[in-house]
Amino acid sequence: MAEKLEAVKVLYCGVCSLPAEYCEFGQDFEKCKPWLIENAPEVYPHLIPKDADGNEVDKVTEKLQGAGIASGSAVLTTSKEGTSTGKEEVKRLPGGKVKKKDKKEVIIEKVVRNKRKCVTIVKGLDLFGVKLNDASKKLGKKFASGASVVKGPTEKEQVDVQGDISYDIVEFITDTWPEVPESAIYFIEDGRKVPAA
Amino acid sequence: MFKKFSHEDVSAQNQVKASVQRRIRQSISDEYPGLETVMDDLLPKKSPLVVVKCQNHLNLVVVNNVPLFFNIRDGPYMPTLRLLHQYPEIMKKLQVDRGAIKFVLAGANIMCPGLTSPGGVLDDGVAEETPVAIMAEGKQHALAIGFTKMSAKDIKAINKGIGVDNMHYLNDGLWKMERLD
Repeated sequence: MAEKLEAVKVLYCGVCSLPAEYCEFGQDFEKCKPWLIENAPEVYPHLIPKDADGNEVDKVTEKLQGAGIASGSAVLTTSKEGTSTGKEEVKRLPGGKVKKKDKKEVIIEKVVRNKRKCVTIVKGLDLFGVKLNDASKKLGKKFASGASVVKGPTEKEQVDVQGDISYDIVEFITDTWPEVPESAIYFIEDGRKVPAA
Repeated sequence: MFKKFSHEDVSAQNQVKASVQRRIRQSISDEYPGLETVMDDLLPKKSPLVVVKCQNHLNLVVVNNVPLFFNIRDGPYMPTLRLLHQYPEIMKKLQVDRGAIKFVLAGANIMCPGLTSPGGVLDDGVAEETPVAIMAEGKQHALAIGFTKMSAKDIKAINKGIGVDNMHYLNDGLWKMERLD
């Protein structure tokens, strides 16, 4: 093969970065539409996606575009599509594409090891702007035991304290870091979340 | 497998020594003979080749901060989709029907019926355990890169269950990682 392979130029959508033809399967086709109309009109002639549930919606778009108000139609359609897009967003959630915001709370869990020894795990202190290194030092000093910052199962950092300290850790946390409200502290008991307050 | 993939998953990146570079180059050109003429453009001998190690035994081959190939454990090297889009002819292609696109783009593995239905196309020369490009009905470009679990004949005969493992698809973590620095 003497001839060099020619690299194919692929048109990528400026909004969602997918190749233009896959925009309709992207996360937010509505947002891509203006870009597509401008840059890739041949991919979506008149912007009629063929997917089944989009059909109705796009008849509206088409009609309005037929009336000849391009920009106005965009605004109008978004308002008319309000219900359908709302439905879509709900649908997307199980896919895990929309990240839930982390709730600000401190979770305290007691893990028993060797039947009579236990470790108390404190999660979520960092959400309140507490430095975990400081926290582990303070906890270790207060309860006279080993305390360390450990990477938890979900890549989150947590403080592990040796020994069962769940009896007065709540008071200690609220005293030391006044920015942590008592109502945001939860215990985990038998796999259930129980508020400490 | 790249569904959740970000810069945090990178555990180490090294510029590899010349002998390793040679080996990578060799295995890539063995795997994709179609790339021979552009090998020097893709992996220039002069510029350093970086291997990025990530979690789950994943390696990325990176040149000039652009990921070009990936492999798992010591498996075959597979091109990233951006690269495949440029040189679509280098891989065997399987085509799925339209109904499957949505699921593939959400990271699902490719099931046999999606390949055998009227919208799908099977290349009979595809053996099991080989990397393939996944195309889609009515689309020009590949939408995923897969690793076959059974040969094309088996896919046709069994027509049930997972035919191709989805390795890398549009808009997954690796796709979003256009540049790595």
